Amino acid sequence: MENILAVFNPNVFLPLLVSMFFGIFVGGIPGLTATMAVALIIPISYYLSPLAGLAMVLGASFTAIFSGDIPATFLRIPGTPASGAATLDGFEMTKKGKGSLALTLDLFCSAIGGTIGIVLLIVVAPPLANLALQFTNYEYFWLGLFGLSMSVVLSKGNVIKGLSAAIIGLLISTIGMDITTGYPRFTFQNIELMSGIEFIPAMIGLFGLSEVLKRIQGGNKSLSRPTINEKIKVSPLKALRIIGKRFFVVVKSAVIGTLIGALPGAGADIAAWVSYGVEKKTSKHPEEFGTGTVDGVIAPTSANNAALGGTWIPALVFGIPGDTITAIVLGAMLMFGIQPGPLIFEESGDLVTGIFTVALVAQVLLIFVGFVGIKAYSQVLKLKTSTVMAGVVIFSMIGSYAIRNSFFDIYVMLIFGIMGFLLEKIDVPLAPMILGIILGPMIEDNLRVGLTKTGGDMSLFFQRPISIVFICLIVFTFTSGYLFKFLKYVFKGKGRNEIKNN
Amino acid sequence: MKKLLLVALIAIFAITLFAVNYPTKSITLVCPWGAGGGTDRLARFMADELSKELGQPVVVVNKTGGGGAVGHGAGAYARNDGYTITLVTLEIATMHWLGLTPLTYENLDYIAQVNQDPAGLIVKADNEWYSATDLLVDVAQNQGQYLFSGSGAGTIWDLSRIGMLNAVGIVPDAVTWVPTTGAAPSIVELLGGHVDAITCSIPEAYPQIASGDLKALAIMADERDSRFEGVPTLKELGVDWASGTWRGIAVPNSTSPEIKKILEDAVLKIASSDAFVDFMNKNGFGIKVRNAEEFTAFVEEQDSVWKEVLKIGGYLVE
Repeated sequence: MENILAVFNPNVFLPLLVSMFFGIFVGGIPGLTATMAVALIIPISYYLSPLAGLAMVLGASFTAIFSGDIPATFLRIPGTPASGAATLDGFEMTKKGKGSLALTLDLFCSAIGGTIGIVLLIVVAPPLANLALQFTNYEYFWLGLFGLSMSVVLSKGNVIKGLSAAIIGLLISTIGMDITTGYPRFTFQNIELMSGIEFIPAMIGLFGLSEVLKRIQGGNKSLSRPTINEKIKVSPLKALRIIGKRFFVVVKSAVIGTLIGALPGAGADIAAWVSYGVEKKTSKHPEEFGTGTVDGVIAPTSANNAALGGTWIPALVFGIPGDTITAIVLGAMLMFGIQPGPLIFEESGDLVTGIFTVALVAQVLLIFVGFVGIKAYSQVLKLKTSTVMAGVVIFSMIGSYAIRNSFFDIYVMLIFGIMGFLLEKIDVPLAPMILGIILGPMIEDNLRVGLTKTGGDMSLFFQRPISIVFICLIVFTFTSGYLFKFLKYVFKGKGRNEIKNN
Repeated sequence: MKKLLLVALIAIFAITLFAVNYPTKSITLVCPWGAGGGTDRLARFMADELSKELGQPVVVVNKTGGGGAVGHGAGAYARNDGYTITLVTLEIATMHWLGLTPLTYENLDYIAQVNQDPAGLIVKADNEWYSATDLLVDVAQNQGQYLFSGSGAGTIWDLSRIGMLNAVGIVPDAVTWVPTTGAAPSIVELLGGHVDAITCSIPEAYPQIASGDLKALAIMADERDSRFEGVPTLKELGVDWASGTWRGIAVPNSTSPEIKKILEDAVLKIASSDAFVDFMNKNGFGIKVRNAEEFTAFVEEQDSVWKEVLKIGGYLVE
């Protein structure tokens, strides 16, 4: 009980609150990521108690992941990599003048998804962590392929164009040093290309800069208008009523998110895409996805916040980072004199209880802080489009540079911006391309390392139980359309026969 | 009179030439590895302490990519005025042999070494191997059967494994190296039973060793580590091989000797402080201090050691 109340001690509560506002700010700016927010907070946290320091990390990461959805929804520019999927239906809702509703839904689902992730962390962390241990290259390969198959789901209408986009993404992901042999590919002796195309500048370019170019093409008239036309009105009750009806979607997405987050090889970004794809695939109205449907907003956002809870599972149970944020956290724990790892529950049980409490309290605070964030953002977006777009360009450049202090990444951002603009002109969807870039290394490296392990034998990829589950899911993704039609035909046919017999 | 004037002039000239006023502005410390990692933590600690010593702010800049080539390059090709210093890591002695960069250790001047982490040989606790000897005998008899991991291909933990096998006359291909992105994912692979053994520094796997899930069979150092007294060195077992990663401070080559001296004194003073020892222990970093002269000789020696091992492993690009 004492540990639980410790959270409300001003020495912990105030840093938590401050870090949450900081997270909103960082997450809302394209290019500044949740990881960066945490990396910036860590040096400050050393001056605080361990619980206060970790409270700041938790607060900033949860708010940053939500806040990334704000520019994604209003401007189609993801604020963090985990917000990529929010550019789909969230932005479509904004176009219909329902942007503030989309964000209110987003905020509540972030908090609920986050809570589910934390509850799973508290209740079933050890078994989930052991499940994650079962994953090795074979399973990750299929998980990656399953994620990539979502690009078919994500491409509106024209599947060929969707697949082309995914393949462009895959090809881009082959640039850089090859993990299995250390051989540089397509690097043209350029040292900057050695570690590959940085994902974040590419994403900012594809979504952010291309959006700016699109609006410039709209001419002076559209540029002098306010960036968003709707009156920002936040109506929590309306949002809660909608969520109440779709609570199952939130829970399902949050569970998927937590599971994916718990895998050391996958994080919030993949969780968001996969749950969006799963939701569309199992929806009764898949054709509405991508046109501004509510389910398309709540699925990915429930998943990405839940994934954060998931990443703490291997971190606490094994002392192994679930993502870049928990990697930094584990380092910080050492600085606090806490040895992360299996013994942490016994040696620092108080702290673990404290972390759990802070994480849950943060979900409640998120709703209030998030509303402030939405309000603040909408004030900015009342400015002329031209002013906002100039700001977007500046922050895109700063964000791209800040990833690893490299001018090269600014050029990457510019090139991808132009590429995204041109591809959209010929109706090639960008989301599958992002999936290709994220999942390319996961698929390729795990296939090759897996084959290295078996000495070139493919059979192990097909024999393991988790692999088989993924294979079935992939087959289902590609055939479900036909399958449903077939079943419908069978049942309808049967129905007719029954009528005849009567 | 004329003579006296000349002497005076020379004297003034000499004083202005040699009495360097350093530092007068903020110093950049280049960290070739990402924010939040182990090397970054060390860089930030050193930056804090150096700014206290030198009375000027020291700012850490992470320049990552190219397996360390980008950051080391940025540090080496900076102006040699002492205002850009680099947290140099072992990769300076391997990158160019791997063909990643034309940059060699000679592009930098070495100030002082502060850390050295020997490789450990780690297996699952329930494994039948009870010593490194068991493991090596088994590997020699069952070539091609076991999977080893620890990090990427051609990285220090891979090279530690190659060197160890080579020291007992086993070809590197006798075990399959499973490349990963670092020690942490390799530990996951080992815990999950997907690989048979890993080579990485013992502190990296310490949480799992302490909990009884993993065990360290040997440490690849000249002497035992006081923190892990029970872990024998390979040399005790008759395997003449020591290997590990190290970190230190360096500046671009032909930086003026005065500036180097000021930096060296500062770093050595920090390295003898209680705060430093405390920091290193908390983070599981091994302490190894070498002054400029010793460090320079050490890096030179390392460069040829790794050339040889990379050649044996088939990684050498000439």
